[in-house]
Amino acid sequence: MHFFSILGVEIKKIRRSKILLLLFLPLVILWIPNVLNADMNFQTVIEGISPEHNFFIQSFMGMAWFMMPASFVVCTVLLVQTERANRGILKMLSMPISTAKLCVTKWILLLILAAVQMLFMVGMYFICAEIASSTQNYSFTLPLSFIMEEAGILFVTSIPMIACFWMIAVCIQTPIFSVGIGLALIVPSVLISNTKMWFLYPICYPFYMLIQKYGTLASDGSSQEIPLVPWLAAACIMTGIFIAVSCIRFGREERR
Amino acid sequence: MNFGIEWAKMKRSGFVPAFLAGGALGAFVPVIQMAVRSENDTGFLGKPLEILLEANWSMIAMLNVMLIVAGACMMYHIEYEERGIQKIRTLPTKEWHLTAGKFLILMIASFGALVLETVGLGGCGIYWFEISEDFFTELLKNMGYVMVLTLPTVIIMLMIASWFQNMWISLGIGVLCVFTATMRQTDNGLLSLFPFAMPFQTVYEANVNDLIAAAAEVIAFAMIGWGIEKIRKKTV
Repeated sequence: MHFFSILGVEIKKIRRSKILLLLFLPLVILWIPNVLNADMNFQTVIEGISPEHNFFIQSFMGMAWFMMPASFVVCTVLLVQTERANRGILKMLSMPISTAKLCVTKWILLLILAAVQMLFMVGMYFICAEIASSTQNYSFTLPLSFIMEEAGILFVTSIPMIACFWMIAVCIQTPIFSVGIGLALIVPSVLISNTKMWFLYPICYPFYMLIQKYGTLASDGSSQEIPLVPWLAAACIMTGIFIAVSCIRFGREERR
Repeated sequence: MNFGIEWAKMKRSGFVPAFLAGGALGAFVPVIQMAVRSENDTGFLGKPLEILLEANWSMIAMLNVMLIVAGACMMYHIEYEERGIQKIRTLPTKEWHLTAGKFLILMIASFGALVLETVGLGGCGIYWFEISEDFFTELLKNMGYVMVLTLPTVIIMLMIASWFQNMWISLGIGVLCVFTATMRQTDNGLLSLFPFAMPFQTVYEANVNDLIAAAAEVIAFAMIGWGIEKIRKKTV
C-alpha cells in the first residue's frame, strides 16, 4: 500500500472522533481572558517589551507549556484506543503492510493534528488581536510573517516531543501508565527549561523557544544564544531513537 | 461488599502503582527544587512551610489533579472496554453502589498520594530549614485542607468519566479542565471555586468558607450525577 493511501485510511478512522473540537476548545478558553485583560499588556512596558509583543507571547506561552503537550497525550490515546476498541489493530496487522510503515503513518497523523492546532492558534490570534485592538484603541496585531515564523518554530520544535509521546503510547500497553507518564512528563518542563540541560528534555523545547523569544523581545536583550549544536544533535538523535523504538514495538503485543 | 469488588477490579489495572508513583514523584518535587536552588530559598523571610508551599504547591497540586483525571478515566475504561458495565447493570444491585465504591477508592488513592507528598514536604522542612514547633501542625493542617478540597475534583472527574465510553473523550475533557484551572493565577475570583482549581489552594490561601464550598460542591455534584443517572435509566 502506498504511504499516502495508508494516511488517508488513518484520517478516515478519526474522522468522526470530534478531535478537532478538543484541539480547538482549549484555545478559546486560553484567549477569552487574554482579550478581556488586554489592558494588562500596557503595564509591562517597564520590562521593555511592547504591548503587542507581550499580548502575543503570553498567549503562546500559555498554550505551549501545558495545553499543547497535553493535547498530544490525548491524541495518542485516541489513536491507540480507536484501534484497540474493536480489535481493529488485528485486521490492520493481518494486511500485507509493514508495521513500521503503519507506525510512522500514525506518527505523521499526530504531526498533522499538531499542525492543525497550530493553525487554529494563529487564526485565533488574529481574530482576538483584532478584537483587543478595537476595545483598547491600540493595534495589537503583529505582521503575519512574524506570527507564521513563530508558529512554524513552535511546530518544528514540538516534533521530538510528539515522537516521545508516541513511543510511550506504543510501548506501554496499560493505558493508565502511558497516560500518567505522559502527563507527568509535562509538569516539570518549566523547571527543566530553566536549567542548562534543557536540550535533553524534548517536552520543554517549544516552551524554551518562547522563553528565548521573550528575552529577545524585551529590550534588555538578556537572552543567551541557543546552543545549536548540542541541541540539534540531541533532538535529532532522540527523535530517531523514539521513532525506531516505537516502530519496533508497534503491534508486538498483539502479534504474540 | 461492593467496595471489595471495586478494589479487586483495580488490582491488575496498574491503578495502585500509578498513584504510589505519582505521590512519590510529588514528594520529590520539593526535594529536587530545594537541592537545585536552596541558596535562593532559605534566604527569604517567612515561615518555612509558606516558602515550601509557595515554591512547590502548584506543581504538586497539578500532579495530583492529573493523577485523579487519569485514575478516574482508567476506572471507567476497564468497565467499558469489554462491556463489563453491562454485566454489572444486570446484577440486582443499584448502580450508585458502583459509583460510590469507585469514589471511595479514588479518594483513598489520592489521599495516599497526598500523605506521601506531605512526608516529602516535611522532610524538606527538617533538612533545609530551622523549623519551629508549629511546622508540623500546620503541615498536617495543610494536608487536611487539601484533602477536603480534592473531593470535588474526584467526584466530578468520576462523573465525567462515567458519561463517555471512549476514554480519550473523558481524558480530553479532564485535561481541558486542568488547563482552565491553571489559569487561576490571573483570575482569583470565581475560578477558584472551579472544582479542578480547588486543590491548587494551600492552607494559607484557603479558609473555612472554601471547605464549606468544597463540601457543597460534592453534595451538588452527587445529586446532579444521581439525577442524570435516573433520567438515563428511564430513556434507555
